[in-house]
Amino acid sequence: MDLIVNILAMTVPFSVALLLASIGEMFNQRSGVFNLGCEGIMAMGAFLGMLIPFSVGQGGHVSQVYNVAGLLAATVCGALLALFFGLIVITFRAPQGIAGIGLQMFGVGTAGTLFRHFVGGTQSIPGIPDTPVPLLSRIPVVGDIFFSHNILVYIAFLLVPVAWYVLFKTSWGLKVRAVGSYPRAADSMGINVNRTRYEALALGGALAGLAGAYLSVCQVKMFSDELIAGRGFIAVALVYFGHWHPVKIMLGALLFSFAQTIQYNVQGLGINLPYEFFVMLPYVVVIVVLAFTSKDQTSSPAALGKPFNREIRT
Amino acid sequence: MKKLVLFLVVLLMAAPLAVFAGGASEEAAGADDGQYKVALIIENTIDDKGWCQSMHDGILAAQEQLPGKIHYEYSEKMTTVDSESIARQYIADGFDLIIAHGAQYKNMVTDLAAEFPDVSFAFGTSSEIVGDNVFTYMPESEETGYLSGILAGMLTKDNNIGFVGPVDSGDAARYARGFVLGVEAANPDAEINMAFIGSFSDYVKSAELATTQINAGADVLTGASQQAIGALRACAEYDDVLWLGQDLAQLDTPEGQAKCVAASSYNYAAVVVGLIESLDAGVKGGVCIPMNFNNGGFVFDYNPALSSLVTDEMRSAVDEAIAEFTAQAGVLSNWADVQL
Repeated sequence: MDLIVNILAMTVPFSVALLLASIGEMFNQRSGVFNLGCEGIMAMGAFLGMLIPFSVGQGGHVSQVYNVAGLLAATVCGALLALFFGLIVITFRAPQGIAGIGLQMFGVGTAGTLFRHFVGGTQSIPGIPDTPVPLLSRIPVVGDIFFSHNILVYIAFLLVPVAWYVLFKTSWGLKVRAVGSYPRAADSMGINVNRTRYEALALGGALAGLAGAYLSVCQVKMFSDELIAGRGFIAVALVYFGHWHPVKIMLGALLFSFAQTIQYNVQGLGINLPYEFFVMLPYVVVIVVLAFTSKDQTSSPAALGKPFNREIRT
Repeated sequence: MKKLVLFLVVLLMAAPLAVFAGGASEEAAGADDGQYKVALIIENTIDDKGWCQSMHDGILAAQEQLPGKIHYEYSEKMTTVDSESIARQYIADGFDLIIAHGAQYKNMVTDLAAEFPDVSFAFGTSSEIVGDNVFTYMPESEETGYLSGILAGMLTKDNNIGFVGPVDSGDAARYARGFVLGVEAANPDAEINMAFIGSFSDYVKSAELATTQINAGADVLTGASQQAIGALRACAEYDDVLWLGQDLAQLDTPEGQAKCVAASSYNYAAVVVGLIESLDAGVKGGVCIPMNFNNGGFVFDYNPALSSLVTDEMRSAVDEAIAEFTAQAGVLSNWADVQL
């Protein structure tokens, strides 16, 4: 029982960076823009999120205001980088895949370079501590699993119904879905396709930046230039996994982290299998689920990856 | 408009080069006659508080031990694919010794050594002899793992110990098996929760694994390679959890000060001095240099801030083991028999 509770209690916080980034990427893709640069934005977010409290406290304790300022800076930086990406793929209509890879390399490289210049070697910060919810966190089992985490964990999971509401119940969400699936029809209805895509990109970038900062300020509480280590790409995969739906994406992030946490625990049980088998387990789970669910692409944005040019009929 | 924006984008990309170019030029001083030009190629950074920093610190210490003898430059973040390009540049610049710090560089070193027989190369961890102008070095880390194991076995109150491993190969594999032997010698009742994350540099996974092990009851942890910094940081979140380090640089961190009871470290200065002395004697390679307490390849130290946790019994057990390792190499020759 303890083992199961431990696995579930760790699954929730370990899934947050993926959840935030993939919800952001969902907005990108729903608007028709495929942002492979999520990894780079996360790296910049992780760096900036850590830089502000580190600069103030030099690794020592600082007021939580500076940690929050770090999170906000990461969010703003993520939005700006996504707008920069939008300039290239929306205005200049560059191939989204190639531009995304460029943004990934630019973000990771710039974060690493700035980190070495302004901080130096691998450094830690006290970060934002866990905030157990009064009373609820004392409930046996449930309290450990759901109510004993960092404040950003609760915010991230509250974001799921918010994202669902925004996407499916607001006029802006309808615009986003329209420009991602039928941009020409949306354009003929008076929706500014490019502007809507810029807005969705900014929101997605902001969440990717926040996801990176969650790692450096709330979860690991340190930065190194390899901190993101491919999580941006996993976030992109989770959007496909979740069929561009926030609730399914959340389930995907939880499933991936669940498999990851299982492998951490199972390795210590002395099961006579090579550890490499356990290490690859989360990735195999995602691939298997993708293989079984990929036939149902009805929710896929029809114009995903296609630049919009109102003067060319496609 | 489009050209102007494109120009601004290129300018934005190039700006960091102008800002940060100053540091690089300071490194590129010319070598004097009588000096050996030594280059270091590493996959991480010189301040990673782990594998790469230990070699960098060793070369700097060797420079102090051999004044005026070593001109030193380094290249960080060199992937296996990129390493050949920078190695060729060093060769073109007349470097005498190129240290490629990692077994992943073996093929690159082997190829270049055959092409440039007048240049000496070194890489590790490996005990293979791959050319007459190639040195290899092999840390016998089962010795440092054993010391950590003794302390972990005696420090644990719950008989539950965590091990955060990178990949089960090279010196990390030796450290892990030595650690098991040390725990078994000091406290046969203790259980070791040993797991590997499959990466040398994924700090997040390292922290996640450590957190998982702590929540499963581990009260003393250790880990190998630079990824272990993430695990050490995770330990700092818990009051009753202690850490045993594999690099003395970990003691200098705030979390190391708070949690790291003791650490062992590679003393690469001894290796580098040995390499320079070999070059002086006209030996360009073809030798494997083991690293152990016997030849001064390891150092071990306690954290003064946590000295109250170390009992006399612990100190004497560790001192006894160090004395045994120092007197004779290969004491733990059965390390490879340990099944994880």
